[in-house]
Amino acid sequence: MKRFKMPPWLVLLLPAIIILSAVVLIPLVLSLYSSFTPYKLTRPESLYKWIGTFNYEKALGDTKFWAAFGRTILLLTIALNLEMLCGLGLALMVSKVTRGQRALRTAMMFPMMFSPILVGFQFKFIFNDNVGLVNNALQSLGITDMAIPWLVDGKLAMFAIIFAEMWTSTSVFAILILAGLFAIPQDPLEAAKVDGCTPIQSFRFVTLPFLMPFIYIAMAIRSLDVARAYDIVQIMTNGGPARRTELLWTLIGRTGYVDAKMGYANAMGYISIFLAIFFTIYFFRKLTAARAELGMGV
Amino acid sequence: MMQSVSAQNRKRIAKTAHFVGLFIAMSIICIPGLWIVLNSFRPTVEIMAKPPVWIPNELNLDHYRAMFGGAGEGGVPVLTYFRNSMIISITSTVIALLVGMGGGYAFARYHFKGKSAIFVGLMVTRAVPGVALSLPLFIIFARLGIIDTHFGIILAYVAMNVPFTIWLIDGFMRQIPKELAEAAEIDGCTRWQAFWRVEFPVARSGIASAGIFAFLTSWNEYALASQLSRSTTSKTMPVGLLDFTSEFTLNWGGMCALAVLMILPALVLTFLVQKHLIAGLTFGGVKG
Amino acid sequence: MAQVHLKNVVKKYGSLEVVHAINLDIEDGEFVVLVGPSGCGKSTTLRMIAGLEDISGGDIEIGDRVVNDLAPRDRNISMVFQNYALYPHMTVQENLGFSLKIAKFSQSEIDAAVQNAAEILSLTDLMDRKPGALSGGQRQRVAMGRAIVRHPDVFLFDEPLSNLDAKLRTQMRVEIKKLHQKVKSTIVYVTHDQIEAMTLADRIVIMRDGHIEQIGTPLDVFEHPVNTFVASFIGSPPMNFLEAQIDGGKIILQDGTALTMPAGYAANEGQKVTFGVRADNIMPQNHAMPAGNNMALVEMEVSLTEPLGTETLLFAELAGSEVQAKMLNPRPVQNGERLTFEISLDKCHIFDAQTGNALKAQ
Ligand SMILES: Nc1ncnc2c1ncn2[C@@H]1O[C@H](COP(=O)(O)OP(=O)(O)O)[C@@H](O)[C@H]1O
Ligand SMILES: [Mg+2]
Repeated sequence: MKRFKMPPWLVLLLPAIIILSAVVLIPLVLSLYSSFTPYKLTRPESLYKWIGTFNYEKALGDTKFWAAFGRTILLLTIALNLEMLCGLGLALMVSKVTRGQRALRTAMMFPMMFSPILVGFQFKFIFNDNVGLVNNALQSLGITDMAIPWLVDGKLAMFAIIFAEMWTSTSVFAILILAGLFAIPQDPLEAAKVDGCTPIQSFRFVTLPFLMPFIYIAMAIRSLDVARAYDIVQIMTNGGPARRTELLWTLIGRTGYVDAKMGYANAMGYISIFLAIFFTIYFFRKLTAARAELGMGV
Repeated sequence: MMQSVSAQNRKRIAKTAHFVGLFIAMSIICIPGLWIVLNSFRPTVEIMAKPPVWIPNELNLDHYRAMFGGAGEGGVPVLTYFRNSMIISITSTVIALLVGMGGGYAFARYHFKGKSAIFVGLMVTRAVPGVALSLPLFIIFARLGIIDTHFGIILAYVAMNVPFTIWLIDGFMRQIPKELAEAAEIDGCTRWQAFWRVEFPVARSGIASAGIFAFLTSWNEYALASQLSRSTTSKTMPVGLLDFTSEFTLNWGGMCALAVLMILPALVLTFLVQKHLIAGLTFGGVKG
Repeated sequence: MAQVHLKNVVKKYGSLEVVHAINLDIEDGEFVVLVGPSGCGKSTTLRMIAGLEDISGGDIEIGDRVVNDLAPRDRNISMVFQNYALYPHMTVQENLGFSLKIAKFSQSEIDAAVQNAAEILSLTDLMDRKPGALSGGQRQRVAMGRAIVRHPDVFLFDEPLSNLDAKLRTQMRVEIKKLHQKVKSTIVYVTHDQIEAMTLADRIVIMRDGHIEQIGTPLDVFEHPVNTFVASFIGSPPMNFLEAQIDGGKIILQDGTALTMPAGYAANEGQKVTFGVRADNIMPQNHAMPAGNNMALVEMEVSLTEPLGTETLLFAELAGSEVQAKMLNPRPVQNGERLTFEISLDKCHIFDAQTGNALKAQ
């Protein structure tokens, strides 16, 4: 009798697969199921009532949902692009520094160790209309004598949130791009110089293509936890005022825990999960392609 | 002659712009944190003063005293939260590392069908937003009766950290030529021995930084913990931060003091691993 | 000490077969070199002997044991890798002693064996260094030292010299040869460098595309290549090949030059053949060509010269193909100069034009 023997790689991967199945996959299956029920935390028996795609239809017909959805996409697009550009700029500036570069690099990592929730509080404090740093400074400098309602006005609150989000995450880009800048082989740059490229041209045609994989790694890492923005928003505005900064995630949290409508919240949760998975796979694809282009192995 | 002067001017302008730009960027990065630290030492009246007090008249440890005194302002049991955070973060990190070493080794050293699909599959689990996951997890944990226990949160954090740990360790293991383990096998080791005696010591610093990364993620996590913990038995510091808020007021000073307590360990650990961390991310990602 | 036998050994990666049922018998104490172009399956073969790759078919025996399913550690072999694979976290001393430590030898035994190996390879001054602080040549010696401490049955070398510069390579080649004379173990050595193969081997195994093309002593494969591949791979510069046809028992080159058949070869009337001659056997007249009784004279125009000191390579055209000739005791030669060359026909080779196989007389 030949006993079935598992290949060693499977044995090694099994603990990871089991834990992720138990803690992520099974709950997701459950939430998928419950998104087809009118499940309410307060009425456990409602878990067994099948209502089909009602929750999804409700979500898709709900302007509040679409507003949050659009706002989330907008926030992600603006924030990710700005973070990338600022990170690139910061990395270029730091790479040109000759003395004290180590210290700068260390300082650059500073925001990465802040818990997102802490970032939320920090900027809630800083943008506070009464005692915040920003208003204090503006008033002391005589630029305005009003208390600017940073977190109360819809547009300003969105700005404050994007600012906080960028503050935490720009350094992820800056650090990885900086690592890329150091890894660039000098030969092509020198060849470009010999061929008569201006500095801008050699940046555009030599440096930037080489940096792309590094940018995509940063994007991939970021897309793994874009939802960290939830913590920040939750604290800074909690979706308010009057839902003007409501994101998909805060809407889900409120619907599930405050209104106790788990089934409905899970339906929206699923939409946000697909969004996240889409981003992640997209950037992993990009990363593989960029790698292959540079011949960095498989 | 004229040209060289203008070229020189241009150079000087570029240099100044570089300096100013860098200075502004670094200020934006550093000031918010320093502001928190500063305020943790200022009495509440001064924080709230209108017009603002720019040059502190008085710095003291009142907020810290209140925080550790426990009963002080609002009576937030900071030490308990700190202990919970430590237990949960350390335990989940150790388990995530063990699981991650297995997975990372499998990806770095074995060829098998569907490898990249499985890899992306594992990574994608990390992308599931905490809030969205916390809903069903809350339901299941409630059924199992492990809401508000260390065990429940540890379990969730292990799952949260495993994908990234695998990614990092995979990257570090790939940097180690596979001939090293082969040489060890020829020298008489089993594959198991070859790993622990040769590959593990060589990858040690990389694995340590993966561990610190996992620790920081657990240490800072909020969305899951806020739903899976209920009371002082399992509340972690990020959740505890909310104790300083009430419906209408916020104890800014006390919160800043707790923030400093949260940042300190993270600060120390990050400094320890920054070099390896960058290497791990880039090697794992680019050369991977 | 042990013999090694490969019987119909096959290696497949999925559906891709990279080693095709090879047979090889290696004597006790013999120094066998596997040589061939990169990608021909040398390393794969060596790694199957080591047990680092599973074999997909056939049998491998070391000593009198079939080792197909034995782990590397149970085969009593040692191996030197191309990139040395020294343990970076251990000192030279610990690197050398690692295998004995795993085998649970006592510390005093380990120290004695390590000391002995260190002396053989003059490593005694480097014992406390880590591999990172060693030069390429020193690392190479440590890798060899790690292989010899255990007195294995078989030594396996996978291109151990290819990361060294040319001068060091020559030097280490001599050391490896001396080492073999000292330890007298069986050695299987892989290289893509035919000079290394010629200088080191008792017997050479020439591989191509997962097949063994020829096995023989260095002189044997040099003087009696079984096909055009071996003929062009062994020897430098590579053998000249000319298209020809057999007519009236003679070899007729494309320009009509008729040459008599070299001894030991036979071909059918009208057969299309490839005529092979090494540069060593085409020399300008009166330039120290050893007297032979089967010489042909041809006149050629020299198009390029490559002076090497003791000899000069001459590039010329014969019957529409470029050939290389050799001039011993050289004198200056002008490009475009016409010279009369002697071809030593008894040292020449005839191959079938289609299959490339040597047309040996039965
Ligand atoms: N793990 C592998 N998977 C698939 N093909 C492989 C693998 N390793 C080697 N090969 C292929 O096997 C052939 C022989 O490789 P190798 O033995 O390393 O050649 P070499 O003679 O240069 O040492 C090559 O064509 C190589 O591409
Ligand atoms: Mg090879």
